[in-house]
Amino acid sequence: MNAFAMTIPAPLFEEARSRTGKPSPMDEARFEMFYRRNAGNLWSYLFRMTGDAATADDLLQKAFFRFIRANPALAGEEHMRRWMFRTATNLALDHFRETKRERSQEVETPRQQPAEARELLRHDMMKTFAELKPRERALLWLAHVEEADHEDISEALGVKAKSVKVLLFRARKRLGELLTKKGLAPQAKR
Amino acid sequence: MSDTCRFEPQMLRAAQEDRWTDSLRAHLGECDDCVAAISVAPWMTQFSRISDREHILPDPSVIWLKAKLLQNTVDVNRVTRPMDAVQLISYIVVAGGWAGVLLWRWNEVEAWLRTFTPTGMVESVARAESLSMSFFALVLVLASMTVMLALHTILAEE
Repeated sequence: MNAFAMTIPAPLFEEARSRTGKPSPMDEARFEMFYRRNAGNLWSYLFRMTGDAATADDLLQKAFFRFIRANPALAGEEHMRRWMFRTATNLALDHFRETKRERSQEVETPRQQPAEARELLRHDMMKTFAELKPRERALLWLAHVEEADHEDISEALGVKAKSVKVLLFRARKRLGELLTKKGLAPQAKR
Repeated sequence: MSDTCRFEPQMLRAAQEDRWTDSLRAHLGECDDCVAAISVAPWMTQFSRISDREHILPDPSVIWLKAKLLQNTVDVNRVTRPMDAVQLISYIVVAGGWAGVLLWRWNEVEAWLRTFTPTGMVESVARAESLSMSFFALVLVLASMTVMLALHTILAEE
């Protein structure tokens, strides 16, 4: 399955075409539909990237502001989703540059001790993921969760498609090492 | 274009379901990419599934409204940018004009200003000297431009 072919059953932007074949500008109803179908995935991505719900909210809003400003009716639905992830990635990386919280600092994690086992697990996983560089996080999330191909990832991260293979390999190795160090690595089934 | 190993999807599925065939095991022995992929895939899957859905997303109508307000501000700035530029150029032209006129005829202006003193008045009457009409015409034009510019600035701000 293509990564960005998430869960949009209806041809959202096809409907936006008038009888003349020209796309009409996106109205609030169509935006809301697009938002409800994609915002959750995008927020999860931003939350895993930044480790902070408020920051993820902020970046999500910024991404959608840009989306509305970009006159989305002019492009296809597939393009829109890629565009959203690319914009979200850029915003997240800009956020890290601005706050100088690259790899040396961990992402914000809840200060109080999580009570439930589920919360504890999430806390630990977020902490582990935060030990990666922002770009590594983006690579791994896009490849494994969004199941994006290398071209989509290269577009989202602004790197050459040929570099993605190497970068992804390194990111996987790095996460693998972290998981091994923490005793969380899966047993190889050979 | 995708440089993903063609076995990778099968490898990931095998790792997920713990169903390994001989050919997949054999491939694992020769493909570092797939080894790296399956070493993190189960963890990534679990990580993606830990619930964060209890978080309430920002309301789309609020985002739409904010975006439109921002868009209006951007549009207003874009539309007024040429006007602002013209206004700035006008300020420079008028200020330059005044400076030029004063420098060009400074001696005469200075002499003219001196005529407003009591001794200067007596002297100027005796010499019957004054500035040329062209100078006064130029000053009148510049003064009119200054007043128009000032009025435009005040009205535009309002």
